[in-house]
Amino acid sequence: MYDKILLTTMGEYMDEIIEHTLNLIQGEAEVICIYIVETSVPFLTPKKVKEMMIDELTAKGKDILEDMSKGFDKPGINFRKLMVKGNPADEIVKAATDEEVDVIVMGTGKSIVDKHLLGSVSEKVVHSAPCTILLVRTAN
Amino acid sequence: MFELFILILALIISLIIVIKAADVFVDSIVEIGLALGISEIILGVTASAVGTSLPEFGSAMIAILTGSPDVGVGCAIGANIWNIAGILGVSAIFAGLITTKMEEVRRDGSMAFLTTLTITVALLLMGEISFVVGIILIIMYVVYLWILIRAQKSSKDREIECCEVDEKNRDLNKKTILMAVLGLVGLAIGCRAIVYCTVELSVMASIPEVLAGILLAFGTTAPEFFTVLTSAKKGLNSLAIGTVFGSNIFNILIGLGIPSLLVTIPVEPITIYFDAPVMVFMTLLLLFLIKRGMKLTRVEGIILVASYIIYIVTRLTIFS
Repeated sequence: MYDKILLTTMGEYMDEIIEHTLNLIQGEAEVICIYIVETSVPFLTPKKVKEMMIDELTAKGKDILEDMSKGFDKPGINFRKLMVKGNPADEIVKAATDEEVDVIVMGTGKSIVDKHLLGSVSEKVVHSAPCTILLVRTAN
Repeated sequence: MFELFILILALIISLIIVIKAADVFVDSIVEIGLALGISEIILGVTASAVGTSLPEFGSAMIAILTGSPDVGVGCAIGANIWNIAGILGVSAIFAGLITTKMEEVRRDGSMAFLTTLTITVALLLMGEISFVVGIILIIMYVVYLWILIRAQKSSKDREIECCEVDEKNRDLNKKTILMAVLGLVGLAIGCRAIVYCTVELSVMASIPEVLAGILLAFGTTAPEFFTVLTSAKKGLNSLAIGTVFGSNIFNILIGLGIPSLLVTIPVEPITIYFDAPVMVFMTLLLLFLIKRGMKLTRVEGIILVASYIIYIVTRLTIFS
């Protein structure tokens, strides 16, 4: 049913997201796992600190994508890693459009308090995604 | 009223100039250091430790050297209290969770506590920051920097064992030197303007200069605020807590250490018997909260912010 799946992760609740994604796959499928290095910082953040943040997030992203690939090391699954810089919601929608995926799998991630304090990537994606979305309940 | 508005506006503009000038200065100095062949590790460690703290250091230095030592001392101690209780507290509330590692708490947390304890004991015993105290503070910072560089080197060595080495070869150009000079000039002029505005505002508001310095710390710590809050929100926990400890160590050991080599810094009794002990208490409170599970939760963030509110309200009402 779903031949091409876009999977998003920030490194949390990976087991739950992998489990639900595997449940979607019947036969063969291409799974693209995207990690977004969020580059935006407030105006007064020192330049060196911004560079340090991007370096650390990139290293963290590589580890996360590597861990995710192990979860999809199964016959019939073609796993692809994608790391991009930018705004998470915009980049997820752009990747889904460019790759013409059938479904986006992402975690709900946050509690109601976190959602108000930090904002919600999944909420923004829901409003502009070009395809079906599976939101995996991951909040505690 | 108009004069008050102009002073507040000038203070905000000066703060932005200082923060941006510090950014340009640090960036250019790192480039110059690389071109001169100084180790990237040494430059990286120093730049990250100094980077966010230059506005406090510049303001404290200029204040002390231009006859307003209370503003300088208030700014350094006020920044340390705000860094822990305000900035880290607010960041923990927003991020929900900030984790840390035992080795970082042992190294940076212990040093931050030792720093605050040293300056408080010195103040209680001597009532001022003399040349000898300044030498001790600077030696402590050099030792801390050496420990940081050693830790960074061992972690880089591990990376080199598994990965390819990124060789960098940079040339020193005139633009970089010019930017470093411009950054330094901007820093000096901006800090002078900050101190002038703070002193004038304290006269207009009839508050002691040391209290004005404590309030000034809200502005000079803006780079720490944005660094810690953004890192915590992005899950870069080591950077969040490391910035606070690093800044607190720098503010005292260098922020008060360097000026005390040039002039003995007199300190108000209220700072010796109230502000400095509060700084020690806040450092201990943070270490106690972190050590329980190597993390700061939202509830612990609220405890820190509540502690700051109690401190600042007490300072503004009872001890102003």
